[in-house]
Amino acid sequence: MAQYSLTVNQKRYTFDVAPDTPLLWVLRDTLKLYGTKYGCGIGQCGACTIHMDGLPMRSCCLPIESIQDKQIITIEGLTENADHPVQKAWEEEDVPQCGYCHSGQIMSAVALLDRIPDPTDEDINRAMKGNICRCGTYPRIRKAIKLAAKDISS
Amino acid sequence: MTSRRDFIKVGSLAGGGLLVSLVVPAYANTTSNNVNSQEIKMNKFLSIDTDGKITVMLTKHEMGQGTGTSIPTILADELGADWSKVQIKKSDYHPQYTWQEMGTTGGSGSIERTWDTIREAGATAREMLKQAAATRWGVDTMALKVENSFVTNIGTNEKLEFGELAETASQLPVPEEVTLKKSKDYVYIGKPIKNRITKKVVSGNARFGLDMNLPGMVYASIEKCPVFQGKLIEFDATEAKKVTGVLDVFPLILSEEEKSKIHPKRGYVDKGVVIVADSTWNAFKARKALKVQWDYGQHGTRSITSLEKEMAQASETAPMTFEIGNMEQVFKDEDNEIIEAEYNNPHQAHALMEPINATAHYQGDRCEIWVGAQDPSIVNAEVANVIGLPTDAVSVHILNSGGSFGRRYHVDSSMEAAFISKKIKLPVKVTWSREDEIMHDHFHPCLRNYLKAAISSDGNVLGLENTAISTTGYSAWSNKWDHYYAIPNMRCYLSKVPTLVAEGAWRSTGEHSANLAKECFIDELADKLGKDAVDFRLELLSREVDWGDPSSFPDWVKKYFLPRKKIIRQRHIEVMRFVKENGLWDKQMPKGKGKGKGKGFAISNFGDTVCAEIAEVTLNESESGFRVDKVTAVVHCGMVVNPHFGKGQIEGAIIWALTALKYGGLEAENGIVQRTNFHNCKVLRMDESPEIEVVFIESDERPTGLGEPGTPPLAPAVLNAIFDLSGKRIRKMPVTKQDIHGMDA
Ligand code: FES
Ligand code: FES
Repeated sequence: MAQYSLTVNQKRYTFDVAPDTPLLWVLRDTLKLYGTKYGCGIGQCGACTIHMDGLPMRSCCLPIESIQDKQIITIEGLTENADHPVQKAWEEEDVPQCGYCHSGQIMSAVALLDRIPDPTDEDINRAMKGNICRCGTYPRIRKAIKLAAKDISS
Repeated sequence: MTSRRDFIKVGSLAGGGLLVSLVVPAYANTTSNNVNSQEIKMNKFLSIDTDGKITVMLTKHEMGQGTGTSIPTILADELGADWSKVQIKKSDYHPQYTWQEMGTTGGSGSIERTWDTIREAGATAREMLKQAAATRWGVDTMALKVENSFVTNIGTNEKLEFGELAETASQLPVPEEVTLKKSKDYVYIGKPIKNRITKKVVSGNARFGLDMNLPGMVYASIEKCPVFQGKLIEFDATEAKKVTGVLDVFPLILSEEEKSKIHPKRGYVDKGVVIVADSTWNAFKARKALKVQWDYGQHGTRSITSLEKEMAQASETAPMTFEIGNMEQVFKDEDNEIIEAEYNNPHQAHALMEPINATAHYQGDRCEIWVGAQDPSIVNAEVANVIGLPTDAVSVHILNSGGSFGRRYHVDSSMEAAFISKKIKLPVKVTWSREDEIMHDHFHPCLRNYLKAAISSDGNVLGLENTAISTTGYSAWSNKWDHYYAIPNMRCYLSKVPTLVAEGAWRSTGEHSANLAKECFIDELADKLGKDAVDFRLELLSREVDWGDPSSFPDWVKKYFLPRKKIIRQRHIEVMRFVKENGLWDKQMPKGKGKGKGKGFAISNFGDTVCAEIAEVTLNESESGFRVDKVTAVVHCGMVVNPHFGKGQIEGAIIWALTALKYGGLEAENGIVQRTNFHNCKVLRMDESPEIEVVFIESDERPTGLGEPGTPPLAPAVLNAIFDLSGKRIRKMPVTKQDIHGMDA
């Protein structure tokens, strides 16, 4: 056990965990931020996607000892009122089925649009293929990203 | 006849308002532990308080199918409610919700099975509110209309909100008869009403089973015997106990007495070693430090290859399930051409997005469980068995789940959590790792079909023989009633070989397996005869299968089965007519090496819903050797309650089935499942997701299911398209590029 501190959603936290604990489990078990989901633990599914210093990362693959003093944003801290253009587009297209994968989907989509505000289908494939959805909401995710892109550009 | 008064009870809500309870006579009880075999009581099913707030109790499990929203929508429509005033309250398990109606979530049956009950409840409340207004104004109910939570006097335009009427309504007698709305008057049914969970999902506030947290809760993970039904010999926890945060290590072994009580399939629990720790991560980590010796038992020498051999052997001696006409004669006739083919359906994993989990709190004389489950009565029963408490001492709280697809009928994780909590006397959350979820899945069963058809010299299919060998008992296209294509002579054989992995329901169950053989082989025959795939099917459906003398049929067949079979056959025909009339099948595909596109057709039913799919496929150099560019689905499910959800279910089912076709199957060596996580148990991703078009046949018929019907036709439609393009018949899954391009690919 060792003491670590981290800024999550603009809030500073200090806690004791084993150094190899992945950020995912710190968020969920220690900080009780359950928005970030566990899906595979090996960087394959994207359910655990968060933003670290503005970049999308798989929190299941980030041992806490390696990310000291980083700025972390989780789905809960993306906006105060769930009104990011991506969140609004997700609501508008009513994307989720079970919803389990969508924290990760949204975090990946936000990062995509930060980088490429008007993505092509190819851009969307490349940015989103790391996020699995077993319910098969891919067609709606694509639609929602395009809608959010329109919203951002206008 | 049950009088309506018998099943709708109305009372007054504490603090004022109308309270509707349902008491529905049960059809039959299928769960042995269900204490009440007479009726389903849903107390406080619907309530309207004096502020006009409407609360609907939801007994269905929300796992991505949308019924958590669509069932309340149906009720709100019939009630004449303002949807924004409707709140949905998830009910805890109560033993009186029985399988048939309310308590179970599966078989694509949530709406189909509750459609009448829900509307009756809504209509009854509506009529009573109307009666309350009529009394208040001293007019006849004929002069009133109900809309948007208001009762309006048509003559005077006076309005009263439901909340103002609820208390008075609660004092009135339940009307003996109510008229249900006509479909043309629906306000919400048939509209793309949005899912009530969406807002919470997009803000990260949706809670699933795995997000459960209790004060003082600890975390458990279980190292399980890698072989199905294997045993624990001994273990050494010295190193595991040194891992930070580990609180306890002990074996998970049930006594003979406990085992004798639990259901062998739904209550099956792997032997294992339990790690209890202060976090999920520490529990996962400590498992790696365990030294365990297992007895792999009877399956320890088996593999998928040996299973396939056993299946081939079994095909030689399988007993006949039925015969129509005289197959012997048809096969003997030398003028007839015989066509043979073998189709192979492997196991399929669920790979649910939310890994299996459960939280339990054992408190001596009672136990609470929090879990996402498709049938809480099974959770209740098996947990009670495993910890030796009466069923009424076990409370089951159902949380939303990240996909179920049949897997969450098994209640292993709830039993594990209860067992552990009883042992350590603390609330505990059991988390299965992704590896556990895949390696210890209850897989879709295997099925092999050995097919043989006889074709006459003048181009008719005279006979069909199907020998089905399966690892399970259900649907293999070998029951007489499974057949819709009228071929004059038919003969089927069926045999089972023992499974080497745990098995269970998987989206569309046996229909998925059976339709691979059925819809591909029909395509083979059409091709052989030089007939169009759709026309040929219509020809085979133009008359009913001759099942023999109807007076010899059991009663349930006459009463229940034959009318349904009529509807299903009719729907097949209507769907294919629609496909033809709208030019969905006649579309010309571009030809040419490298640029060519193939198209394939398949049609099947799941329950009473019929779904046809047309796949457009191109070949490429990917692992599977092909890409599905587009799937057009034409669906007949009666009325569509929510087209947005309905379309989503068909899209999801197509993507699910395409995963099975491209990446499905299973490898097992020495009884051990070789797939472990998403890198070797691949699933379809965004870049491979085809364009999907879904068309619903317009219909006023009562709604039938939508969660599963999109799955079965996908694989045969794609395989038929691959044949159209490449001339290669692939009769198995997953498809690899070697299957398409040859071994040197
Ligand atoms: S849980 Fe991190 S990528 Fe799957
Ligand atoms: S919505 Fe269920 S996994 Fe994506």
